[in-house]
Amino acid sequence: MTKLEGKTALVTGGSRGIGRAIVQTLAQAGARVAFVYQSNSKAAEQLVAELAEKQLVVAAHQADVRNKEAADEIVRAVVESWGKLDILVNNAGIIRDTLLAMMTPEQWHEVIETNLTSVFNFCQAATRPMMSARYGRIVNMSSVASEFGNKGQTNYAASKGGIEGFTRCLAKELASRGVTVNAVAPGFIETDMTAAVRNAAESEIKKAIPARRLGKPDDIAQAVLFLAGEGASYITGQVLKVDGGLTLGGF
Amino acid sequence: MPTADEILTKVRETLVDALGVDDDEITPEATLVGDLGAESIDFLDIVFRLEKNFSIKIPRGELFPESLAADQSLVKDGVVTPQGIAELRVKMPHADVEKFSKNPKVENIQELFTVQMIVNFLQNKLAGGAA
Repeated sequence: MTKLEGKTALVTGGSRGIGRAIVQTLAQAGARVAFVYQSNSKAAEQLVAELAEKQLVVAAHQADVRNKEAADEIVRAVVESWGKLDILVNNAGIIRDTLLAMMTPEQWHEVIETNLTSVFNFCQAATRPMMSARYGRIVNMSSVASEFGNKGQTNYAASKGGIEGFTRCLAKELASRGVTVNAVAPGFIETDMTAAVRNAAESEIKKAIPARRLGKPDDIAQAVLFLAGEGASYITGQVLKVDGGLTLGGF
Repeated sequence: MPTADEILTKVRETLVDALGVDDDEITPEATLVGDLGAESIDFLDIVFRLEKNFSIKIPRGELFPESLAADQSLVKDGVVTPQGIAELRVKMPHADVEKFSKNPKVENIQELFTVQMIVNFLQNKLAGGAA
């Protein structure tokens, strides 16, 4: 178990799903964790309360991650409260699945901005404190969808493919400053986001997964914990797939 | 108001931190790129640290103007035009544009960025002038 005692972390999209599991896992590993949520204040409050009961330090920030000023302000607030920002997890993401021929400009832009522009916003804000400290761990949430061609996901896969390219470039820019930048690419995970597809085709999906089960948010959180740790200092610019073997293909 | 020497000392410390070079490598004539091995991320780091160490704000492009070489109107056949040199004098009053104008090849633009340039900039800035 990676110890994050003394470390501070910021997680976007932290109130539900994979983000929630990441917040819980990093906090339980000893980090002070701030998270951003968009609208589900009830879920956010529940998470803060749950962790406060265990004497863990967690702070919730409501914001639209597409907003640059909000990102700058939240990072500034975290650095002011806790003195530094060690770990940034860009996890916020949405889907708006529809065939390209029928996709509205809104569906395209919403996904690109929420999933990819948010990564630009928060990574840029985090650059200065991490560079000055000569230490940082940035983990961006991609998806196996960027590698697969799934019908209906041109916008989603574009945003996630973009995240992977972005990750490699930023890794190179910041490597000499002790900041690693990596991505985690989840396979099929049991969250609100996949509920509709699971209801329609869960047993079909499981047949395609060598591990014969869907992933849990905690599976992803464990991978993020590893990359966020001090020990992962020589790993950078990588995409770690966490998919139970789904993308191995073959027979 | 710190003296030129005091400014140079602090600039030295800043560059040692930012570039990881030895103290004695940092002479006033040393070029940031050629002599001290600075690359783009280092320029960012230098600005951050100067802001912190001197308690000032340095707006983007004020100390290290960006895309000098990319401006097509100021460069011809790999040489900076007289108009380009005039631009440089305006944009970088703290740099030794005179020296550069004797051999104004675009590839030499980086040689404008010296330790002394930073000291000149700071002297100007701390005296309350616009750099």
